[in-house]
Amino acid sequence: MHVVDGALSNPVVIGGAVLTLGGLALGLRRLPMEKIPVAGVLSATFFVASLVHVPIGPSSVHLIMNGLAGLVLGWAAFPALFVGLLLQAVFFGFGGVTVLGVNTFNIAMPAVIVGVILRRLVLSGTPATGAIWGAIGGAMAIALTTIFVALSLALTGEEFFAPAKLVFFAHIPVMVIEALLTGAAVYLARQVKPELFDVFEGARS
Amino acid sequence: MIRAVCLALSLALLPLPAVAHKVVMGVFPSGTQIEGELGFSSGDTAKEGTPIEVFDENGTKLGETVTDADGFFVFTPRTAVTHVFRANLGAGHVGEATMPADEVAALLGTSVVGAAASSVANAAAPETPGAAATIAIAAEPNTAQLTSAPPALGADDIARIVRDEMRPLRKEIAAYKEKNDLQSILGGIGYIVGLFGLGFYVAARHRLRSAT
Repeated sequence: MHVVDGALSNPVVIGGAVLTLGGLALGLRRLPMEKIPVAGVLSATFFVASLVHVPIGPSSVHLIMNGLAGLVLGWAAFPALFVGLLLQAVFFGFGGVTVLGVNTFNIAMPAVIVGVILRRLVLSGTPATGAIWGAIGGAMAIALTTIFVALSLALTGEEFFAPAKLVFFAHIPVMVIEALLTGAAVYLARQVKPELFDVFEGARS
Repeated sequence: MIRAVCLALSLALLPLPAVAHKVVMGVFPSGTQIEGELGFSSGDTAKEGTPIEVFDENGTKLGETVTDADGFFVFTPRTAVTHVFRANLGAGHVGEATMPADEVAALLGTSVVGAAASSVANAAAPETPGAAATIAIAAEPNTAQLTSAPPALGADDIARIVRDEMRPLRKEIAAYKEKNDLQSILGGIGYIVGLFGLGFYVAARHRLRSAT
């Protein structure tokens, strides 16, 4: 899921960096003080989740957990995931420093999209229905990320559909696992700490 | 909040040291050829027939080769310039390895034994180690006895034996380099806590100042 240094052409790398800078600026504005600890926890979750590998055939894929970050943080997912990606690049060599912009956008933008679309649905109804919408959000974030990765490779000049299909199908188990995890996390939060979502809604306005 | 910390912690304790699917690529001199290997850091080797392109330092293409079933590839250099090997395994996985000009020159024999050996090197390209390569050894006085010993070992034979012995070691070192141990994971989490703590501190100070 992490594109490595040298895989993308310069325009794509620069474009990704610019978009990420925009997302970071927007995210930091939407990050009130009350939200900072949660952002840190979700950043750490993302940082660690990428080390959980699911072996599939000859290769392996890893968890991302960007859906949960998007549902809880909204635009503030950008700085949270950026920090996680930066440290992964430095500590483990996942991705690279030059493609950090593209990687952040590919992972944080789906989180934001999921957050914007599903946040209300996750909060409405009983915790159980909220959990189902959370699960859908978890899977959707991964699906969008695979499409974004394939798109950035396509913009570099590789063909789009064959790799996109490959990456997408390879990540179906990840989608299932993340759907379960995100659903469970939403259910737990709705049951024991409903203000996890509400407080931030209030702080944002 | 506490639940979220618990979730993060349980996730942190769950993962066994896993490896990323990073591309690992290395090249090394092998007789008169450049041998290299290509694979993923998880220990999987590249698929048989993965194309590898060879460039010089200015980006001029020198040729190409393909991997065998074990992810190894062989390239025969013709000129003593820096060789850059590039492979694209698809889906954003690219590998690059470089062999500096002086190493290429050494294995072409241009700086070691002179012109005689370099012509030998070119002739011996399609894997004919035998007699031609022993000349290179005999040229050096110290190893002359070695060639006179009953099972005459050519330079290529020695190179191959050493290479075979080194291969598991190299693999182990490559695997070790990719190891994510608990310390670096905890270190990374520590950085995240520190960074967000700093952000929290700045935000709190800002708020306190504007309150007064």
